[in-house]
Amino acid sequence: MANSNLKETILNPIFKGNPITVLVLGICSSLAVTVELKGALVMALSVTIVTGLSSLVCSLLRKTIPNRVRIIVQLVVVALMVILVDQVLKAFEATYAIDKSLSVYIGLIITNCIVMGRIEAFALGNKPVPSLLDGLANGAGYGMILIIVAFFRELLGSGTIFGFSVVPDAAYAAGYMNNGLVILPPFALILLGLIIWIHRSIDKDLQEK
Amino acid sequence: MNTNSNIYTVIYTAVVVVIVAAVLAFVSQKLGPMQAANEKAETVSQILTAAQFGDKESWAEKGNAATLDFYRENVEKAVTVNAKGEETGVLDIQKVAIYSVSQLKTQNYNIKDGKDFELPVYIFKNGTKVIPVYGAGLWGPVWGYIALEPDNRSIVGAYFDHEGETPGLGGKIKDDPSFRAQFVGKQIDYSDAKPFSIIKGGAKGKANAVDAITGATMTSKGLDAAIVEWLGAYEHALFLEELFKMAGEGETLNNEEE
Repeated sequence: MANSNLKETILNPIFKGNPITVLVLGICSSLAVTVELKGALVMALSVTIVTGLSSLVCSLLRKTIPNRVRIIVQLVVVALMVILVDQVLKAFEATYAIDKSLSVYIGLIITNCIVMGRIEAFALGNKPVPSLLDGLANGAGYGMILIIVAFFRELLGSGTIFGFSVVPDAAYAAGYMNNGLVILPPFALILLGLIIWIHRSIDKDLQEK
Repeated sequence: MNTNSNIYTVIYTAVVVVIVAAVLAFVSQKLGPMQAANEKAETVSQILTAAQFGDKESWAEKGNAATLDFYRENVEKAVTVNAKGEETGVLDIQKVAIYSVSQLKTQNYNIKDGKDFELPVYIFKNGTKVIPVYGAGLWGPVWGYIALEPDNRSIVGAYFDHEGETPGLGGKIKDDPSFRAQFVGKQIDYSDAKPFSIIKGGAKGKANAVDAITGATMTSKGLDAAIVEWLGAYEHALFLEELFKMAGEGETLNNEEE
């Protein structure tokens, strides 16, 4: 029983209860930071760490938090995690440039509904370990979609994967061109729509009658 | 224990905030030097990009050490100048002593308040001089670097950065290469009311103006004001003979005039 519950906790947010494609949360950043895989990967990891740790801390504190100020306390915890992630990204040479290119979006993780949503819906009523896993899984579900979108946008928009050119020069010589529309946010929305469509046609349970 | 009492709530929130503040202060202390090193390399790479030595992305790929080494090898002299255009100090090239963004902010206050200021000039071995500009955008500060040819008037290139302008709108001063490309080949003209301007439309044909960014009027205006203010502060320095000579090109220029 406990085992299957734990499995459900981890797998549900990634597939059936995916925060982006099913709950449609965290759309803003998924449109904004998916031009390149590198940025999307860092964003995905950052959100995963923030949701995981915030859920863990809030779950540990759940019996002590005064009900009237619980949103504020959650907010303080999430803000702490976001600032920590941002500070760490800024400190390392490898991630500094990515942090710069993500600009305000790292700071805006705090406004990502997934983070507060999971604390409010799950962490405050569950033990720390399931809460940590729930947070990490939701972050992973979010990150997975981000990476899928970024993969197509970088491939079609810039002809590269993780910055390495994959479209042969011969293709460009033959008249192939990178698609400028793919770079722009509207295409991310179209792509996201396609992913939701595919997801729903595979998983019939998600279709409204 | 009653977790809903007023006293409990007040004490609880106070304790949480103090703990969070302590954690942040500790982390900031520990990571501070590493972040400062990254910021310094970032500033150097912006100066190099403005002077058209490679582009910003290529410096990020080459890494901090390579960026600083290139600066050491290619900078002839880095000095600070005051309002009269007099040299007030020398910045150590081997130590890559450059003005950080917060130092630019301090000097910006000095300029605005009419106090004494000391502004940096980075002079490369090929004669290119780079000067910074700093001002207020829409959401936060904007700053950048303008590289000048040895005649102190023609613009070699420019690079701009910002703290929190809207991505896709004001953020384009940094992210859109075509915006900064407009500066290449333009002229600073001190005989004009504004030595250089960023204007809506109408920059076509003007040697000392570039087009503003669509949808980012306030950022464009802020950057325009920053450039005008700082070029004003540099006016005397940019007329100074010594700076011409230091670049090694002054002789030829004078000869041409004769």
